[in-house]
Amino acid sequence: MAAPGNNSLGCWGVPDVYKHHEQRKICISRPKYREGRKEKAVKVYTINLESRYLMVQGVPAIGLMTELIQLCALYGAVEEYRPLDEYPAEEFTEVYLVKFQKLTSARAAKRRMDEKSFYGGVLHVCYVPEYETVEDTRLKLQDRRRYIIRTVQNKEREREQKEAVNEEPISSDTATTSETVIARHNKASDNNNTVKTSNISHYSGFPLLPLPPQEHHYYRHRNQHGTIPTEDKMGTLHNAIIDTKQEQAQVHKSSSSSQTSSDRDRGTEHRLISNQSSAAVRLVPRTTHLENRKRKMEEAAEHSLTDVTRNNEPLIGPKLPEPPKLDMEDVSLNTTVSLIRNTMKQVELVPDLKPVEKKTKPRRRI
Amino acid sequence: MKPEMWRKGSSEGSDRFEYLQTLVTEFQDTDSEEAKEQVLANLANFAYDPKNMEYLRELQVPDLFLDMLTEENDNFVEFGMGGLCNLSMDPECRDIILQSNGISLVTNCLSSQREETVLSAITTLMNLTAPSSRSEIAVPAILQCMLRFSLSESPRLRNLAAVFLQDCCTEEQVARAEQQMQGQQTAVGIPLPKD
Repeated sequence: MAAPGNNSLGCWGVPDVYKHHEQRKICISRPKYREGRKEKAVKVYTINLESRYLMVQGVPAIGLMTELIQLCALYGAVEEYRPLDEYPAEEFTEVYLVKFQKLTSARAAKRRMDEKSFYGGVLHVCYVPEYETVEDTRLKLQDRRRYIIRTVQNKEREREQKEAVNEEPISSDTATTSETVIARHNKASDNNNTVKTSNISHYSGFPLLPLPPQEHHYYRHRNQHGTIPTEDKMGTLHNAIIDTKQEQAQVHKSSSSSQTSSDRDRGTEHRLISNQSSAAVRLVPRTTHLENRKRKMEEAAEHSLTDVTRNNEPLIGPKLPEPPKLDMEDVSLNTTVSLIRNTMKQVELVPDLKPVEKKTKPRRRI
Repeated sequence: MKPEMWRKGSSEGSDRFEYLQTLVTEFQDTDSEEAKEQVLANLANFAYDPKNMEYLRELQVPDLFLDMLTEENDNFVEFGMGGLCNLSMDPECRDIILQSNGISLVTNCLSSQREETVLSAITTLMNLTAPSSRSEIAVPAILQCMLRFSLSESPRLRNLAAVFLQDCCTEEQVARAEQQMQGQQTAVGIPLPKD
């Protein structure tokens, strides 16, 4: 430990300089197969090193607090921040302490902002867990444990599903689909590392339920607006935006008792219990099924021909908003417009193909 | 075995498994201390991602980490302890570590001179606390150690020790440990880890 503490001042007291704030020397002696995308030091990350508190060093001292916090806010809600005037800084730079609401936000901010230039300076961003309170530390550990258990359970479920499928080769499609479903689930839970207890059931061991039929018609439409991914509707509804009709349907399916949908909490409990008991069924909703098959085709196409597939892009998945189609209110004019548009697309394609060819050549020489 | 069966299905999983296997093999085969450190750090960082838990268990990485705790090289101990801190979050890994006599090996790391090693050891002990192991972890010696840490100048150490004392044992146990300590020494001149 580097310097004497200022225990009595609490977490916003005068800062100490700790060794883990330093940027370690990068390691240059790694063999090829262990080289990462980025050069890094030999260091082990544990939950103890992570924190929702970040320290940002190297901010040019030209009154950039607002700009800095705006940049931080891109990665998640910032709860508190202040300049660390007492912290030893390089000449003409300032040091800031930023407390995020969630650990995942701090993690993203650190990854994206560290070693990036900012108004002519280069930022050094590090976790500063020494600013945590006892309660902060406790919650951090609890969240981490919950996240691990959730993810491991999801993986377990994925395996069980696969095994079930191996016994019944006819439905082999279902297996690959459910795998991707869970993979997505994991991603989602990754992003919500810090969710509280109430959300646990969201990810933990409940099998996927089929959607009620009415969902089928609205699914595509809903997804385009980015409201609810289907999977989230399977395990729990109390967390997602609740469609009352649907909930009722599910409650009726799972329990014979006459639940009113207004009694939401009890309804959820019921559903969870019955979900566990129906664990052997392992149904995957048909919509998800189709979506995933399309996504797979899309991915496969991307691998084989990176740029050429642009024209027959599948319709699903998040996409950039397309430019609105102009309606010229005249058939002839519309035809002309689409002709021009198609020509432009073809023109766009040409320069894209060349760099691909160039890239592949030197690789062969090696 | 069953894991073999399903792993074949997902190529991503089997790639990851093979990569981890390569790391373990390199660790065992190389004579270079530096390479060993790098691989150990790699493995410990892979243990951070719960998706790797199963592969690491299969490759007996929990035992590999435990072996490191008695090494001379402080980096080996720090990285091995960090790896265990990451692994022990998973209940199945926790049970493996408990079965391999992990508690006493981890407890020894509480005396390390490196703060990071001590922090990993405390978190690991918290992770290892289960109904079956509680009686081995909430022992006076460990509780007294935590009481000393809770007076440390390092806020991280102080906080973590406080969480341990609040969550992993009863208030009576803490009170008893405090009483026993008063006979032995005062709060002055406590040995603390330094970097």
